[in-house]
Amino acid sequence: MIPLQVSPFQYVANGVVFSSIIVLAAIGLSLVYSIADFANFAHGDLMTVGAFSALFSVGFLRPMLGDAGVFGLPLWFFLALAFGMGAAAVISVITDRVVYQPVKGSDSIGLLISSIGVALVYRALVFLSFGTEPERYGVPRQGPIPWVRETLGIAVTPRNLVVVMLTVVLVTALHLTLTRTTLGRKMRATADNADLARVSGIRTREVIFAMWLIGGALAAAGGVFLGLEELVRPRMGFDILLIIFAAVILGGIGSVYGAMLGGLVIGMVHELVPLFNQWGIIPVGSRYAAAVAFVIMVAILLVRPSGIAGDSG
Amino acid sequence: MSAVSSWVSETLVRDATERRIFATLGLITVLLVVGVLTGVIGPRFLLFQIALVGMYALLSLGLNVQWGYAGLINFSVAAFWGIGAYCAALLTAPNSPLGLGLHPVFGFLAAIVVSAFVAVLIGIPTLRLREDYLAIASLGLAEVIRAIILNEDQWTAGSSGISGIPELLSWLPLTDAATTAAVVVVLIAVVYLFLRRVHRSPWGRVLRTIRSDEDLAKALGKNTYQFKMQAFVIGSVIMAVAGAFYAHLNLYIDPSDLVPLTTFYIWIAVILGGTGSNRGAVVGAAVVIAIREGTRFLNDIGFIQTLGVDLAPLRLLFVGGLIILIMRFRQDGLLPPKDELIWPAARDGGGAGGASASGAAPDGGTASNGGDDR
Repeated sequence: MIPLQVSPFQYVANGVVFSSIIVLAAIGLSLVYSIADFANFAHGDLMTVGAFSALFSVGFLRPMLGDAGVFGLPLWFFLALAFGMGAAAVISVITDRVVYQPVKGSDSIGLLISSIGVALVYRALVFLSFGTEPERYGVPRQGPIPWVRETLGIAVTPRNLVVVMLTVVLVTALHLTLTRTTLGRKMRATADNADLARVSGIRTREVIFAMWLIGGALAAAGGVFLGLEELVRPRMGFDILLIIFAAVILGGIGSVYGAMLGGLVIGMVHELVPLFNQWGIIPVGSRYAAAVAFVIMVAILLVRPSGIAGDSG
Repeated sequence: MSAVSSWVSETLVRDATERRIFATLGLITVLLVVGVLTGVIGPRFLLFQIALVGMYALLSLGLNVQWGYAGLINFSVAAFWGIGAYCAALLTAPNSPLGLGLHPVFGFLAAIVVSAFVAVLIGIPTLRLREDYLAIASLGLAEVIRAIILNEDQWTAGSSGISGIPELLSWLPLTDAATTAAVVVVLIAVVYLFLRRVHRSPWGRVLRTIRSDEDLAKALGKNTYQFKMQAFVIGSVIMAVAGAFYAHLNLYIDPSDLVPLTTFYIWIAVILGGTGSNRGAVVGAAVVIAIREGTRFLNDIGFIQTLGVDLAPLRLLFVGGLIILIMRFRQDGLLPPKDELIWPAARDGGGAGGASASGAAPDGGTASNGGDDR
């Protein structure tokens, strides 16, 4: 056994990458929670659907584009990401029309239970179309960037950087949409008080449509990044759903900015669990990383159920 | 005989839909009996299936206390079931990691105590809050418990599972399959009668009020948190008892059945049977077993094997689709609760019917006003 000398900063770097994935997923979940007013248990499997849609598009994009690349990743990967985001956005809008809208008469609990059914259907369809084995996008293997390794002593691959940078771009775009555009103001108004928004002449149907598009696209981006960093597995989304919920609850249910913050914290903690274990702060290793996220969630529920950013709960 | 027939007409078949459902069930029962008599179905297999249906019925009754009575969304049915099964397996199997080989009674007792403790632990942070917090936290709890059982193999034998669990009541002069089937029938009868009694009590009426309007219950001065906690613990304990029973039925347990899908099967049983209806929970459990075992039989048919389709995803698709369809078209389920809250004596106008003379209870007179608060 050679003792592994891993710099603490390495865990932080891993945490930033994993946080990016959680932030993207948590934003979509939080949007649905605040605007459609239910806990969407199909959100994790929506990430899976996005990741596999991207995988499907790799099949025809790669022969078309060859291996020309930008930012250290082949060009086809970026197009596959866009394809996956588009596919998940369309699928979540269709799901809303076919499944959620007809149950609208019932309360948020009816929608919650329906979303379990949707999650199972998504996963079954992924199983049926792609089989049960884990897949890869086939992005060529890359070593860590040499100068980062020399100066900071940590291994950061170009794909890590791309994931973080694209997340920053997407989150900034969302922020600008929410604060600078009419659509964003309508969305925030509907999230705040749907009835008041409707009385003020906001077409909430449009808002809900936009919400599913944005939430689906961001979930797919998170799913594709997760598949890029690890493997593309049919259960990947559901396995990560609990961590996403922990992030949303930590941030304060329904608060998009809280979800970003919560995603950052939970993603970081998830990756820092082995480090905390080394330091003797917690008695469990990385096998229990999800359990640690769960304990944090329960602690938040006990101490401050409205989360970090939420004030109305 | 007339007492029996009036009991049947009062409690089982009160309208056309119910008559059709029970006629179908009766037909299936007759077919099964004919199958056994002609030797198509082995009696041992049938008894095992009955025991399995019984276990699912227990789980559904447990979830019905939580979701049906009190409106609590518990997504950790599989976890409480697993707690019960593992308590029984660890304490009674001689070759479990603990190696105690105790009498099954201790397994059942441990299942009850541990599940009640875990239920309180998860109830404290979530039951004061909006109902969907419990949904999220309980799904998390289920995954954490599964992770613990998988990873701590020095205590739980991990993924290799525990075998050599003793059979229940092996001194009875019956075959082992008949004994387990008899045990589960007794368990269901006890739980069913207990739940019917508490459901009709003032306690049950407060729970129904909480489910339909928690603020109203609070305004009436009820400590809703305490009532919800009690319902949550009772339901979880029933699930753990079902798990302990399963350990003695299957004689082997591993963590693979602790997946969330098991939980969702029970959810289907309850919402298909009729949320809040114990009769419905039992019928729903039978339907779910029929789905599970029926799709397993499809695998044996040569034609489907030649297609080369893996049936596990199809079953998943079917289960998911069924949830969506029930929520959209028949939220009440097959056998929605009607007047389960009313004492028979009160319904018959003060005990005029011969069948209900013994049903007059101390609080029978006040019970009739709680019948339709849904």
